[in-house]
Amino acid sequence: MINKRVLIINRGEIASRVAKACRELNYVPVGVWTDNEVNARHLEFCDEWIHLPGNTNAETYLNIEKIVTLAKEHKIDAIHPGYGFLSENADFAEALRKEKIIFIGPNTNAIINMGDKAISKKVALEAGVPVVPGTSEAVPSIEEAIKVAKEIGYPVLLKAVAGGGGRGMRRCNSSQEVQDNFDAVNREAKSSFGKGDLLVEKFIVNPRHIEVQILADKKGNIFHFFERECSIQRRHQKVIEEAPSPFIGDDEDLRSKICNAAVKLARQVNYDSAGTVEFIMAEDKQFYFLEMNTRIQVEHPITEEITGIDLLVCMIQSAFGVDLEIPSQDWITKNGHAIECRICAEDPITMLPSPGVVTGFETNFPQGTRFDNSLYKGLNVTPDFDPMVGKLITKGIKRSIAIRKMKAALDGLLIEGLKNNIPLLKVIIEHDDFIKGNYSTSFIEEKSPQSKIDKTLDHKKFYKILAGVEARRMGM
Amino acid sequence: MRTYLIDEDKNELVIDITRTIVHSSEMVEFHYAMLEDNNFVKEEKIFVRRLSGQYFSSFDKVCWKKLARQDLPKHISDIDKVYNVFRGYKPSGLSTGQEGELLTQMPGKVIKIIVKEGEKVEKGQTVIILEAMKMENEIKSPTNGTISDVHIKEGQALEQNVLMMEINPE
Repeated sequence: MINKRVLIINRGEIASRVAKACRELNYVPVGVWTDNEVNARHLEFCDEWIHLPGNTNAETYLNIEKIVTLAKEHKIDAIHPGYGFLSENADFAEALRKEKIIFIGPNTNAIINMGDKAISKKVALEAGVPVVPGTSEAVPSIEEAIKVAKEIGYPVLLKAVAGGGGRGMRRCNSSQEVQDNFDAVNREAKSSFGKGDLLVEKFIVNPRHIEVQILADKKGNIFHFFERECSIQRRHQKVIEEAPSPFIGDDEDLRSKICNAAVKLARQVNYDSAGTVEFIMAEDKQFYFLEMNTRIQVEHPITEEITGIDLLVCMIQSAFGVDLEIPSQDWITKNGHAIECRICAEDPITMLPSPGVVTGFETNFPQGTRFDNSLYKGLNVTPDFDPMVGKLITKGIKRSIAIRKMKAALDGLLIEGLKNNIPLLKVIIEHDDFIKGNYSTSFIEEKSPQSKIDKTLDHKKFYKILAGVEARRMGM
Repeated sequence: MRTYLIDEDKNELVIDITRTIVHSSEMVEFHYAMLEDNNFVKEEKIFVRRLSGQYFSSFDKVCWKKLARQDLPKHISDIDKVYNVFRGYKPSGLSTGQEGELLTQMPGKVIKIIVKEGEKVEKGQTVIILEAMKMENEIKSPTNGTISDVHIKEGQALEQNVLMMEINPE
């Protein structure tokens, strides 16, 4: 029998992660490299390397035609899109279906329905899942946006119909701010997603971001894998995630309510892959459906850590129509607590991306640390891609132990040569409110942990680095 | 050997090795100091030891911390600063951003130019929107003044350290 061949149309840590799952299943992981990233570290885990010619993302990871041609040429059975890029692109899924190549993701209808914020809201309501008050269709003009905002009451959120990943949304506290922000959000939406349509909805004060991991097969079995909390964010992008949610805590009623709501919604769209239903939870623990991500997510490892189930493997099995080896929902249990820190090449104070070359990389982790990453000495972090270079994951039998391990893991992660957010993560992990689990999505904005980073010039730090370099030069 | 570390704001750290003692093929001792106003300050002894192919450093030969192996790096980062590293020589002719000169801090694309030549601006006012790493970044005026020159166009892709705009400070 010839082994099935899985083409991975992604890069960085997620491409490595997918490749590892393929190897476990005895499928051949096929990786790609592009002209502006010849030293793609993820190829290390792939059995076959294909050149995807081009420099820009539009010429490579986003070019459906080129990818389909390449897949046919190399007799590919299935394509895994990872996250970002074409992972939630219905045209791509459809193009593959026509060529009888398996798209490792959900059916096209599910992508279409959940990819559009207005439609997904409607679907949620049909499934009996609560949504945030606001418009269900794009507002045609600034005037209309201001009118709607007045009806639902300030503050409101302006956001792109096709948005995601925190891009294309902004909070507005007054009609003046709607006026000021409308064009910018519209522009950002157009450049990021190709569509400038905007929605207006109520802004929930001090919300918690809680999401439920879903996994479904092609036979109608839909399972949830409990929740994750991702409330530590900057510019609507997640920085630290944990599972289970400290806000839900021991409230098993609430946990089963939100998890069941996610399953109901997934069932409504005949969901048949790995996916995540995102909610925001208000201070009174009322939760509202936000969106569904029809792909594997960056923060999936923490769910794997507390359930012991490999989500990537299951996602690929589901796509190939192979049995998931999950007998029932009750069979899936959680144990302990897991935390993930996103390691980004960015200035820890301004939190802006800071490209550069990694001149040194070493780890010295506590027992049981997981580090999904794409780092190596010499890696050039360019502005072409997301600044995230790794995900640091720790687990403990209880939350305080996971935090303790995370602190030690961050201390043992040495990345030299470029600015990174490790100093910021250390401050957050040791912040009283984080330790108590008492935080909302505005934690960074309100508590300003970046201002507590010790910026005192430490001459010993420089001596250490230079001494290491000198010793190496001496041939030691 | 003297090493010069120069950050983005042209702040300079001068670090010198005052003594090197080779203890064995596995351990070497350096005496480091910083040069401030022609005086050596913050003198420290530091030991580097190789252990199973990895490098560890210590200030007291008791507590050892792992080092990231590096060949002479071009950059050393510290929190929110990145220093250019010059070993053995001090560079001359580095372009210095004058007050009122807006240089790109990272490569990016010009999304929008908000002000025109001759326009008055206040310190902190957004003058350009740059897209870098898929994000919009607002470039703000560093000073009160008048826009004297605009060197960029909307849609233009820029490298790092490109002069985008000049402002005549008040």
